[in-house]
Amino acid sequence: MTTINFCCRQLKEAVTRYCQKEMSKRVKIIVAVLMCLVIIGGIKAWMMWNKPHQDVKDADAITTTSAALYNSFLQNPTAAKTVYVNKVVQVSGEITQVNHNQQNQTVLLLKTDTPDASINCTMEGEATDIKQGITINIKGICNGYNSGDADMGIPGDVLLVRCYKTN
Amino acid sequence: MKKSIVLIVCIVLSAHSFAQKFYTKNGLVSFYSKATVEDITADNNEVLSVINTATGDMQFSLLNTGFHFKKALMEEHFNEDYMESDKYPKSTFKGKITNLSAINFTKDGIYNTAVTGDLTMHGVTNTITTNGIITIKNGAVSATSKFKIKLTDYKIVIPSVVKNNIAETIDITVSCNYPNKL
Repeated sequence: MTTINFCCRQLKEAVTRYCQKEMSKRVKIIVAVLMCLVIIGGIKAWMMWNKPHQDVKDADAITTTSAALYNSFLQNPTAAKTVYVNKVVQVSGEITQVNHNQQNQTVLLLKTDTPDASINCTMEGEATDIKQGITINIKGICNGYNSGDADMGIPGDVLLVRCYKTN
Repeated sequence: MKKSIVLIVCIVLSAHSFAQKFYTKNGLVSFYSKATVEDITADNNEVLSVINTATGDMQFSLLNTGFHFKKALMEEHFNEDYMESDKYPKSTFKGKITNLSAINFTKDGIYNTAVTGDLTMHGVTNTITTNGIITIKNGAVSATSKFKIKLTDYKIVIPSVVKNNIAETIDITVSCNYPNKL
């Protein structure tokens, strides 16, 4: 009887030890998986936080002319908004003015069919060999149409930002 | 009689010659948010602004998507979550210079100015009053101003999870050169 009792106790202890060992193994695995998830999550969050701005220079662009782009915003603003706004657009047009903004970025105005209305391009890239009267290809992100002031007789411009000169 | 007609014509003509509108389509509006976790700045360099020197009318309008941030994610959150730029694409200010007589647009100088008007942003319009400086240099007009706005005044809701990242009161800086005349 004592022998049986002894065997039972031994068996029970062995099972408990085995279970504890298994449990601690399981806990270890769970902790490891959780840690991996936290690390992956952290890396992902960090990457999202530091996500770079869209690469305009090498992006595929919708190609058009300055006059056509302007007219599309005049004729059907809703459709033009869907097609162009927040997209990279490449515009071909004649430079009517070269200006500098408050932050000393070059601003090019491209000719449209409407007097005093332009495709207003704020340059991010280099602006060499740029002068009034030449026809140029400009690639940038279309921000949309900022209507002017009808009461004061000022027509609006279509805005292109982060622009680069292309061939 | 003839003399008085000539006088009236002269007065009308001289008044007309001073009645000028100065405008720019590339003015600058910046904002600055100082919070516990981080400071955030953004600039919009495509601001349309008009000053009517005869009436003192002053207007500004900008596309909200034109604000450029240091981080792309901030720009996304600003447009999608806070300003809802798709729904409210523009912010405008329409006001008047309240001390117009103190500014001589034909004489070089630095003039302190006071402006009152309606600021519309995120679909909400509030009347604001602010001070600024108008500078006339060789006939060229420029204007600057700094003021503060409270986000809750414009129903811009900041989720509690990023409450420490974004200030409740935002500093706005306006700086415009007016190269065009009408």
